[in-house]
Amino acid sequence: MSLIESGLLLVAGAAALACVGTPLSSRASQASRTMLSGALTCLVGLGGVLAGVGALAGDSWSVTVPRLLPLSQAVLAIDPLSGLFMTLVGAVAIATGIYSTGYPHSHDHDHDHNHNHDQTPDAAGGIGSRTVQAALPLFAAAMVAVPAAGNVTTFLVLWELMALASLVLVLAEHRARPEVGQAGVWYAAMTHAGLVAILLGLVVFANAAGTETFAGMRTASVGLSPATRSLVFLLVFAGFGSKAGLVPLHVWLPRAHPEAPSYVSALMSAAMVNLGLYGVLRVGFDLLGGGPRWWWILVLAVGALSALYGVLQAGAATDLKRLLAYSTTENLGLIFIGVGAAGMFAAAGDAPLASLLMIAAVLHTVNHAAFKTLLFLGAGAVLRSTGLRDLDKMGGLAHRMPTTAVLFGLGALGASGLPPGNGFVSEWLLLQGLIHSLSGAGAPDVAVAIAMPLAVGAVALTAGLGVAMFVKAFGVGFLARPRSAEAAVATEVPRSMRAGMALAAVSCGILALAPLALVRSLERVLVTMPSIGDERPVHGAVELQLSGITGSMSPVLIALGLTGGALLIAVLVRRWGGQPRRTALVWGCGGTRLSPRMQYTATAYAEPLTRVFDDVLRPEHDINITHHVESRYLVESVTYRQRVSDRIENRLYPPLLAAALWWAAMARRLQNGSVHRYLAYGLVGLLVVLIAVGVTS
Amino acid sequence: MLSSVLMLWRRQLSALISLLTAQGVLLAGMAALLGTQDGGLELYLVALGVLLLKGGVLPAVLRRVLANSGAARETQPLINVPASLLAAALLTLLAYAVSGPLVELDPTPTTHAVPVGIAMVLLGFFMLVTRRRALSQVAGFLLLDNGIAATAFLVTSGVPVVVELAVSMDLLLVVLVLQVLTVRLRTAFGDTDIGELRELRD
Amino acid sequence: MNTVTSWAVLGVVVQVLLVVAGAPVLVALMRQVRARLEGRVGAGLGQPWRDLRKLMRKEPIAPDGSTIIFTAAPAVALSSMVLIAAAAPFITTTSPLDGVADLYAVVSLLLVASIALALAGLDTGSAFGGMGSSRTVTVAALAEPTLLVAGFALSVRVGSSNLASLVEHGQRAPGTILSPATLLAAVALWIVVVAEAGRLPVDNPSTHLELTMIHEATILEYAGRDLALVELGSAMRLAVLLGLWGNLFLPWGVATTAGPGALALGVVVFVVKVAVLGAVLAASEVFMAKWRLFRVPELLAGSFLFGVLAVSSSFFLA
Repeated sequence: MSLIESGLLLVAGAAALACVGTPLSSRASQASRTMLSGALTCLVGLGGVLAGVGALAGDSWSVTVPRLLPLSQAVLAIDPLSGLFMTLVGAVAIATGIYSTGYPHSHDHDHDHNHNHDQTPDAAGGIGSRTVQAALPLFAAAMVAVPAAGNVTTFLVLWELMALASLVLVLAEHRARPEVGQAGVWYAAMTHAGLVAILLGLVVFANAAGTETFAGMRTASVGLSPATRSLVFLLVFAGFGSKAGLVPLHVWLPRAHPEAPSYVSALMSAAMVNLGLYGVLRVGFDLLGGGPRWWWILVLAVGALSALYGVLQAGAATDLKRLLAYSTTENLGLIFIGVGAAGMFAAAGDAPLASLLMIAAVLHTVNHAAFKTLLFLGAGAVLRSTGLRDLDKMGGLAHRMPTTAVLFGLGALGASGLPPGNGFVSEWLLLQGLIHSLSGAGAPDVAVAIAMPLAVGAVALTAGLGVAMFVKAFGVGFLARPRSAEAAVATEVPRSMRAGMALAAVSCGILALAPLALVRSLERVLVTMPSIGDERPVHGAVELQLSGITGSMSPVLIALGLTGGALLIAVLVRRWGGQPRRTALVWGCGGTRLSPRMQYTATAYAEPLTRVFDDVLRPEHDINITHHVESRYLVESVTYRQRVSDRIENRLYPPLLAAALWWAAMARRLQNGSVHRYLAYGLVGLLVVLIAVGVTS
Repeated sequence: MLSSVLMLWRRQLSALISLLTAQGVLLAGMAALLGTQDGGLELYLVALGVLLLKGGVLPAVLRRVLANSGAARETQPLINVPASLLAAALLTLLAYAVSGPLVELDPTPTTHAVPVGIAMVLLGFFMLVTRRRALSQVAGFLLLDNGIAATAFLVTSGVPVVVELAVSMDLLLVVLVLQVLTVRLRTAFGDTDIGELRELRD
Repeated sequence: MNTVTSWAVLGVVVQVLLVVAGAPVLVALMRQVRARLEGRVGAGLGQPWRDLRKLMRKEPIAPDGSTIIFTAAPAVALSSMVLIAAAAPFITTTSPLDGVADLYAVVSLLLVASIALALAGLDTGSAFGGMGSSRTVTVAALAEPTLLVAGFALSVRVGSSNLASLVEHGQRAPGTILSPATLLAAVALWIVVVAEAGRLPVDNPSTHLELTMIHEATILEYAGRDLALVELGSAMRLAVLLGLWGNLFLPWGVATTAGPGALALGVVVFVVKVAVLGAVLAASEVFMAKWRLFRVPELLAGSFLFGVLAVSSSFFLA
């Protein structure tokens, strides 16, 4: 049995076991149920990784099962593109599965007044419930299976299964907190609006192509009219872009991710949003065979906008999970900048550049999955230990939770795009691709000449602001002294949670130091996108060398240089310096004892950047001054509150919702209570159908 | 066909019931005729069933309802009688137009009568829409079903027993429900004018 | 082949030692120029080294509640500066560390140094540290776009963003230095050099007023050998930035072959270039006051505009 088949069998088996086993285990204890759920998720992930690695190694595989689905047959077709995404999802599922076995059982708090605290596992519903525990492996299995779908019906069925399972998981804690219900409503509405768009696009495509299977659509797409192709692409881009969290359809991300349990957020942010990218790649590059340049300029523009907006909102966010959610929008924006630029150059026929940019985009997807998993799992660990999501109240966690702090720091390093992290490698490749766009042979045209500098500027600003955001998240959250009582009593999380995080950290490390191990497989992915070509744009062992373009960079050398140099300097200076280091009180201008509350908070840290970009962010300030009872000239306390809400959501969505409500009110007029009227509707309907049939036959 | 038009014309509720009875008998006769034509016990059974149900049971139930409700006449319908008759003419024309292709498929004498069946359906539906009293609406509904049965007999020259049984069960159930509803309406509103139900809208 | 490589290694070693030893001297030179222009005698060229020697003997202090980040940050920052000094084409373009000599890699290493100190500033747990850290990352984030877009403008001509290639191309085709694209990029990058090195009008390197501090606030808690490392690191940062600017826009004299004569010439030319640039910068500082913090983004936005103009003109006026 090939790797692919064994992997798929594992996935199917684990998913079936999840469906069947969890309801049957009502007698088992909470601990063993959690173990089972986590173990099944791990198995699903392992199956996905096996199948994906098999596909990336070059096998492809397909199967057609008639009569499994109503009206159609179920087709699975795996090629290297789907293999890549299956591996990605599988790896995230393994780390998350290991982590989730420890999650409801860590140190419980008795702080009932703390709103952000995840509820106790014994209450009805919530994370410990059997529905949620069955949904977790199912969600992972649906995500692993979506890239394997080979026809429209299978794809849509699996997509919807994934959406429903994730909705169940997002709503896991709705009894404990009311915001969860609202977040669930937004998520459900937007994911289904996206589904409608994808459905329409694929149905139009299948109708025009005359067949439903991807293979048939691929061959038939050359004969379609440009208008049809563009319509399909726009619809599909809207639907998949919404799933990927691109602006302006991103509003569900910062609502759903903070309210879901942390390992669910990790799965959603690191695995599910990548399936939006998969959809665009599959339909745009593979099935439609690339397209006219304006499609990809649109993708590039949307990507740039998402990256900038996401990083600005994340920079101003003080809720740790909201910050990470906006960071997902930002990274997906960067990835789509790469995809859009690759498409532009593919349309112009410049294969080396297009393949380089596509490799950069796909490598960034992998890197993002690795560090985002690590970051969300770390945020979950902090939430479990302290009950806090608000950065303004955290601090000093590096002393009390050292392993979590180190692992979170590694994730932040990767996310910020600094060497020697893994985000640096893919951002370097992306920049190289963009920078070399104007220096190729022949005169580049005006659109490229305008778009490329703007794209480079957008990537650069995103990178800079991204660094600022993660310094804030790590520095304010983990360093210095605790800013609140809850942070002061934090304890380290159990071993299973640390193990899950460590797994993600190890993969970040491998991607940072040896990205070439993955690039081979990524090049096989390029073969499935014929408009990009089957070049080998990146090669070399220790050093990344670009072929066809001059450029090289060695991440290992940088990492070795930095760490080796730092150690060497530290040793030398210790020998020559002499005096031992003493711990003393922080300088308080000679008189004041600085309390921990006087430290810079996350709001304060982001204030200069928020002020520079206040046209975009529009923060709302609320200042309350309490005067002393005896005199208005003396101030007893000042409360400063800053709120940055999502401006796109506030401007774009209320008109749409108002229009929908108006339409509903209009439609209500049909319902005037008269039975005769309702019966008349039926008669008129029947007459219309008869006339239509008579006329058309 | 004639009976359908007469149903639209007459206002008296008891007359409606008599006309329904007549239609039921005629339907049974049609089924029996078809049975002699094609041979086969099935059609005779169906004819018997139709006779019993549409000719016997249903009109009896309706008469009981009429006796309980007391009112004997239809109040002014939503569309007055001349206009209804005009509409009936238009619907009949439509039925003929639409069923042209059907007849062309298999031009036998039986199929030539298909438009009549479709016209009965449309007229029954129309009656359902435009009558105020619950009882006349029930009559319209029964007319609708008679039309469907007639069309089925004419087009396929026979309906399997099972299908006819099922349909008849449904029909009986509906009529019984409507009977109960009529009684309730009367106790709630004093009479059975459906228009009063508008009060229920929020 | 072996001799060439060993000369190349020697070139790198000389480069590193020169930058490490010469950076405090550069700072001293700039202070002297400033002092003389302001009518003072000045402390002399050896003062920064004397200060470093004094600091090495003093007791380092770590604030209560800080972590290893605070103690490790100076070493990390200095290490990244040393790595840049070893890889960038200051004296010679034939460095075996060519894998680090990419423009974007060097920019990111500069950022690593700033971020290490910014994290240390947050780790102190004082309001000064937080303030300096916040302002440092703001300036660094806003300077990033200019750096990369100006780098883009420079690399369009050459077809590569490798610093050694940029320098060699400039030497071979001096006409490109005078093109509008390169001149605009030069102006843009000069503004960024001033911002990144923490000189007036962005930051005052000799201030101790809280409202005017950026770099000084971040490192306020350091003492003893930690402070010595930090001071050396920031001096090297200035030297590295001026050296990069000088070699990108005045590339003559940099050794493109690894041989004793070329290396010696490269050393001399590099020293002269950096000294002159430093003196010019110091002289211009005499006539400027520090700008308020929220005018700095306008300055950086202006430099970004120059960078974009540089790219467009490199294309449209090609």
